[in-house]
Amino acid sequence: MKSISLYEEKGSLLNKLAPESKILYIIIALLLPVIMGSRWVSIGFIAVSFFLLLISKVLRKTVPILSISGFVLLTVVIIQGIFRAGNVTPVFAVGPVSFYKEGLMFAFEIVVNVLNILLSFCVLILTAKPSDIVENFVRKGFSPRFGYVFISVFQIVPQMTETMSTITDAQRSRGMETEGNLLVRIKAFGPLISPVVMSSLINTRERALALEVRGFNARNKKTFLNDEKKCGADKYIQLGMLAMLIAGIVWRVAGWR
Amino acid sequence: MEQKNILEIKDLHFSYNKGDEILKGLNFSLDDRTTAIIGQNGAGKTTFVKLLKGLLRPTCGSILFEGKDISTMTVAQLARHIGMVFQNPNDQIFKNRVLDEVMYGPLKIGMSETVAKEKSMAALELVGLSGFEDKNPYDLGLSSRKLVAIASIIAMDTKVIIFDEPTIAQDFYGKERIKSVIRKLRSEGVTVITIIHDMDFVADVFERVIVFAKGGVLLDGSAKDVFADEAILKEAYLEQPNVTKLCQNLGYEEVFLNTDEFVTYWRKKTG
Ligand SMILES: Nc1ncnc2c1ncn2[C@@H]1O[C@H](COP(=O)(O)OP(=O)(O)O)[C@@H](O)[C@H]1O
Ligand SMILES: [Mg+2]
Repeated sequence: MKSISLYEEKGSLLNKLAPESKILYIIIALLLPVIMGSRWVSIGFIAVSFFLLLISKVLRKTVPILSISGFVLLTVVIIQGIFRAGNVTPVFAVGPVSFYKEGLMFAFEIVVNVLNILLSFCVLILTAKPSDIVENFVRKGFSPRFGYVFISVFQIVPQMTETMSTITDAQRSRGMETEGNLLVRIKAFGPLISPVVMSSLINTRERALALEVRGFNARNKKTFLNDEKKCGADKYIQLGMLAMLIAGIVWRVAGWR
Repeated sequence: MEQKNILEIKDLHFSYNKGDEILKGLNFSLDDRTTAIIGQNGAGKTTFVKLLKGLLRPTCGSILFEGKDISTMTVAQLARHIGMVFQNPNDQIFKNRVLDEVMYGPLKIGMSETVAKEKSMAALELVGLSGFEDKNPYDLGLSSRKLVAIASIIAMDTKVIIFDEPTIAQDFYGKERIKSVIRKLRSEGVTVITIIHDMDFVADVFERVIVFAKGGVLLDGSAKDVFADEAILKEAYLEQPNVTKLCQNLGYEEVFLNTDEFVTYWRKKTG
């Protein structure tokens, strides 16, 4: 079954760390630049994220993510560079259009922030299994019901796409055309979508029954099948990051005086 | 007896992902004998029949239907010649009337309304669902719904019909029904091919058995020959039919496929 999660076990250092450490990393990567009010901090975090992704051997997986957002960011640079209100200092010109310093600086700020957000989230998403993330939250008191809902998305979506492709095969076997103009595709909609809906309803009912017989709604304290995902370094890493956060706040408050 | 080859499989290779070959060069022909394809899970049976239906295309080699390469035909065109009943009837049923569901395929392959209706009524009768035409398929039990799916393919009047696991979720009555359907199709000259795990069912109905293992053909022969070979079946993680096993353990030299065969033998011997 194809997974919709981007995570892949590579046995890397980051794979071994607790998801909380990576979530904390996202928080400080996003907060510290704001607290310290410097985009150099963001740039620093971008570099750190790059480094972390590199040593986790997942840098290549960021390429599709970065190229899609890169396209959007490019349009931001062009539009802000040319049209931003308050553009006065031309920097360079391409043919008849000139780019202005103010707009470019503004666009640069946006690019840095977006990259920082994307890459720090990549550090989490590409190195932590979704079910580990949710399970560790449940351990910390998050509702197991909602936890299940989150995890089940990762199971149900691939299952549904698989059902979809079987249904398409079954109907094509009966002579249904799926390729062609819009009318052909609209005609194919009913024979494809109704079995999907019916199967999902049947599956949902069965899933509910299966969960119930295994005590999903039981009020006892729940135990976990898997060991908690964490390692010895996690405590120090988390403390270290908290210390950085506090140091940042102190620096800022002290700097104001 | 000279048998006419309906389907010829020539050096058929297939892989979903490069470097991971699922079918590794199949070479055989299928004629009008009822043929069972058996083999462990993951042996490539479903993949093979999807190739026959044109739902997948070979990475190498070819499949000829009545001498014509099927790669020249679209899936919709092939549907006129080769029908396939999928494992789970819920994957195809979308009409809220049994008759409409059965008539969908025949209409799609270009039959007129009257012919389609005629064929559909006949197919429903064959599977024992006459009188259920106006029912909603989802009001029927899973085993009857499977029979609706079977009827919907029979009504298309194809030369070849493939069943993927027809006996799953069937009770005794349903299995007997499907047996008689297969025998009837055979007598009408339809080539029946089945993927199946139920060896007793195979021993009862099928003339030819092909054993798939690790993407190749391990054994190919009459049901009697194939089921005689306990050692090779074990290699493919398969079992003999119950009657065959029992008679072998009782020390009989002959291979018996089902109770009827044994009883006939016994009567003759004891007079
Ligand atoms: N869509 C697919 N993508 C990749 N591999 C597949 C796909 N479908 C089946 N396989 C693989 O092909 C092999 C044969 O599968 P299949 O033909 O379904 O076997 P069988 O029907 O004999 O149980 C299995 O190893 C399976 O994992
Ligand atoms: Mg299969």
